[in-house]
Amino acid sequence: MARYLVRRLTFAVLLVFCVSSLALLLVGLAPGDYASELFGGIGANPALVAATRASDGLDRPLGQQYAVWLGRAARLDFGNSLLYRRPVTELIRQRAMNTALLAIGALLVATVLGLPLGVLTGSRRNGGTALVRMTSILLLSVPPLLMSLLLVFLASRTGWLPVGGMTSAATESGFGLGTSGFSGWTMWARDVAWHLPVPVLALALPISAMLERLLAQSIEDTIGAPFILCAEARGLSRRRLLWRHALRVALHPILSIYGLIIGTLLSGSFMVEIITAWPGLGRLTYDALRGRDVYLVAGCAAAGALFLAIGSLIADAVQVAVDPRLRESA
Amino acid sequence: MATGGSLVGSVRAEPRSFNRYINNGQTEETVAFLTQAKLVRVNRITDDVEPWLAESWTEVSRQSSVDGPQSEGLKPAPGPVYRIKLRPGVTFSDGVPFTSADVLFAFQAIYDPRVTSTLADSLRVNGQPLKVRALADHDVEVAFPSAYGAGVRMLDALWILPKHKLEPALRAGTLAQAWGLTTPPADMAGLGPFVLREYRAGERMVFARNPHYWRRDEQGRPLPYLDRLTLEILPDQTAELLRLQSGQLDFTHSAVRSEDYLSLKRAQDEGHVHLLDLGIGLDPDWFWFNLSQPAAGSKPWLRALEFRQAISISVNRQAYTETVFLGAAAPVHGPITPGNPTWYWPELPGGEYDPARAKALLAGLGLTDRNGDGMLEDGQGRPVRFTVLLQRGIAAVERGATFIRDEVAKVGVELVVVGLDAGAVFQRWGSANYEVIFHRLLFTDTDPAANLDFWLSSGSQHVWNPAQKKPATDWEQQIDTLMRRQAASLDREERARLFREAQRIFSEHVPILNFAAQRLFLATSARLTNATPSRLIPLILWNADTLAAASTK
Repeated sequence: MARYLVRRLTFAVLLVFCVSSLALLLVGLAPGDYASELFGGIGANPALVAATRASDGLDRPLGQQYAVWLGRAARLDFGNSLLYRRPVTELIRQRAMNTALLAIGALLVATVLGLPLGVLTGSRRNGGTALVRMTSILLLSVPPLLMSLLLVFLASRTGWLPVGGMTSAATESGFGLGTSGFSGWTMWARDVAWHLPVPVLALALPISAMLERLLAQSIEDTIGAPFILCAEARGLSRRRLLWRHALRVALHPILSIYGLIIGTLLSGSFMVEIITAWPGLGRLTYDALRGRDVYLVAGCAAAGALFLAIGSLIADAVQVAVDPRLRESA
Repeated sequence: MATGGSLVGSVRAEPRSFNRYINNGQTEETVAFLTQAKLVRVNRITDDVEPWLAESWTEVSRQSSVDGPQSEGLKPAPGPVYRIKLRPGVTFSDGVPFTSADVLFAFQAIYDPRVTSTLADSLRVNGQPLKVRALADHDVEVAFPSAYGAGVRMLDALWILPKHKLEPALRAGTLAQAWGLTTPPADMAGLGPFVLREYRAGERMVFARNPHYWRRDEQGRPLPYLDRLTLEILPDQTAELLRLQSGQLDFTHSAVRSEDYLSLKRAQDEGHVHLLDLGIGLDPDWFWFNLSQPAAGSKPWLRALEFRQAISISVNRQAYTETVFLGAAAPVHGPITPGNPTWYWPELPGGEYDPARAKALLAGLGLTDRNGDGMLEDGQGRPVRFTVLLQRGIAAVERGATFIRDEVAKVGVELVVVGLDAGAVFQRWGSANYEVIFHRLLFTDTDPAANLDFWLSSGSQHVWNPAQKKPATDWEQQIDTLMRRQAASLDREERARLFREAQRIFSEHVPILNFAAQRLFLATSARLTNATPSRLIPLILWNADTLAAASTK
C-alpha cells in the first residue's frame, strides 16, 4: 500500500510539474503579452510597453524566464501575479476555496440525482424511465454555457433565486435574505447557500445525467451476470439484489471516472463561473489568460493538475475500499 | 432630489490596482471617477471645461511669467502659462487638506520614469512635459512647453492623488506597486465623492459616501446624494443584463449591444428597466490597410490609393448600419462621428456607395475578371484576395466584417476574414504582419488636439503606419502640419477650419475606412434617477455625485 501511495504521489508531482510548465510555456509563446494587454493593445505607447516588459522581466528569453520560474516553483513559490501584484499561491488559495464549495455541492447533487436514477433506469423499462433517459441525453447534449445561461435566465424571470454572484450586494436594499436574527458568519453562510443553487445545478445536471447513463448501462450488464441470477434463484428480494449486490459491482466503472469528475470540478469551470459570476478558480484562470499573466496561468494550471491528481487518488481509494480484489493487488 | 440610499452597478473586469497612475483599464478609470478628482473637468454632456479642484484660472502672458518676480526657477516656455487658483477648504477623504503640494506631487509622480504612468502621454505637448510650480498654498502655475489650443482641457487627464499617502512610495521608487488590491481601504484617500469601503476579489467593490467631499448641489445640500454605491464584477454581459432585468442591478457598465436592444425594449415596456438613449457614439469601426511596409511583391495593388477608394465605395454604409447594428447606428466615412458635434463635419466629401465606380477604379489597377468567374484577377491571373484580421468574440465587428466581405465580393474582390484573439491581432499589428485590420479604437477625448497620437505620422496610434521618423507621404506631411497648427491655435474658428482640411485630406486618401458609428443605449433600473450618462466610459459614473436612488427597497 505504501509503495502504491508513493507511486501515486510521484505521479501527482510529475503531473503538476508538466502541466504548469506547459501552461507557462504555451502562454509565453502565444502572441501578445501582459505589457501589451496592459496598455490597451493596438496604439499602445511602445516606450511604456517596453518599460513594463523590462521591469517585469518579460523582455528576457522565454527559456530564461522559465528557468527562473522553475527554480522558485521547486520551492513551492509560484511567484507574483503580474495582474494583481500578489503571490500566486495566495490568489489561488482564496479562489480554490470558493471553487471547492461549488464542486462539493455539485458532486453531492450529481451523485444524489444520478446514481439512484441510474439504478432505476438500468433495472426497469417503462414510460418514466424512458423520460429520465431522454432528459439525461438532453442534459448531456446541452453545452455548459447554454445550461448556465438557461438557469440564470430562469432565476432572473422567476426571481426565486439570485441571478449570480456568491453573496448579495446589498441586503438592506432588498437583495439577499434580510437581516433578522442573523449576523456575521451565519448571515454570510446563509447568503452563500442561497447563491449556490444556480451554479451548482449548472455544474451538477450534466454530471448527474452522465452518471445516470453510465450506471444504467452498468446495471443492465450486471443484472445479467451469473452471480446475480444465482442470487435471484436463492430467493433474494429484487430490492436487495439490486441495491446490495448489483449496485456494488456496477459502481466500479463509475468510481473510476469519479476521480476525473472531482478533479475537473475542483479545477473550476470557466463558463459556469463566468456566467454566474462565481469568484472561483475557473474565473481566475480566465482572467489570467486574458491578461496574459503567465505566472498566474501556470499557478492555476498547477492547481488544476493537483486537484485532478487528488481526485484520482480519492477515486482509487474508494475503489480499493469497495473491491477486495484491488485491495489485494495494491 | 432624494438623498441617501444605495445603487448597484457593474464593471466588466476585476481592478488590477487602485492606483490610477499605473493602470488605465476601464475598471480603474471608473474607480478613479468615484474616489478621486481632477483640477478641471470636461463636462461629458456639454463638452465644456468646468472648474473642479481648480476654482479658476487665468492665462498669464509668457513674457510676464518668465520675467516676472515669481518666475525664478521656471525655464522660459513658449507655450501658454496658466495661474490656477485651487478651491479653498477642500480636504481629502481622510480629512487632510488639499493644497498645491498635491498638484506638484501629481505631476512629479506621473512624469517619473520609474512609475511608467499611463497618464504621462496625455499630459505632454509635442512630447514635452508641462512645468508646474507652487505660488502659494492654493495657487499653482502651469506652463505648457509649446502652444496648445485646447489649453487647460488637458488637465482633465490629471487625477490628483494624495501626497501625504503616496510620497514615501514615490521616493522609494515603489509608487507603481502602491495601492494594490490588498491595500486596506483605510490606507487610501481621495478627493472624489466616494471612498472604497470594501473590495471582494471576483465579486464586488463597495463604495461609501465621502463625508469630506467638497461639492454641494444648487440648493446647497452636500453631495453625493447616495450613501453607498456597489459595483459588481460581472465579466459576462448577458448575465449582467439578466441581473438588471431581475432587479439585482441598477445600471450596466457598457452600452447595450444592438442584438440586446429588442429584449430590453420589451423589458422597458413591461416596466422592468429604463433605456436611455445616449445618441451616436464617438467611436466608429476602423478598417485600415497596412501602409507601413514597402509595396508587397505579389499584391502591389493592396497599397494603391485607388484600391482603398474602391473598397470604400463598394460598401453600402446605410445597409451596413441596418445589418450590423439593426439600424441603431449612423453611417460615417471619417473618424469623427455625429456623436462629436463640436468637431464633426457633415459635409466631409466621400463615402458614397458606387459599385460601378469601384469596378472602374479596380480595372484601372489592372484588376479584371479574366476567367469569367465573376471575381477579379491581377495581371498574372492571381485572384484579387486579401485578408482582414479582427478580434474574435466582438459580435458587431464579426458581423461587420461579414457584411463587408459580401459587399466587396459584388465588385469581384475576395475578402478573407480571420478572427484572432486580442494578443495575436496586436502582435501582427506591432510587427506590421497583416494586410488589413478591422478593429474598434477608442478616442479618449472629443478634442482632436488631445488625439494627436492618432493624427500625426509620428504617433503610436497612427495605426496604418505608426511612429514614422518623418512622414512617409506628402498627404501625411500635410495632415501633420495642419494638425500641429490646429493644436497650437488659440482661435476656435481657425482650429475648426484647419481640422476640416485635415479631415478632407484624410478622407481623400482613406488610410482608414469607417463605416458606421453605433447609437448608444444604456439600460438602468427604475430606481436610478438624475442620471446624465455620456458617450465616454464610464457612461454613467462620470457624474456619480449627483446620481440618486428613487427609493430604498
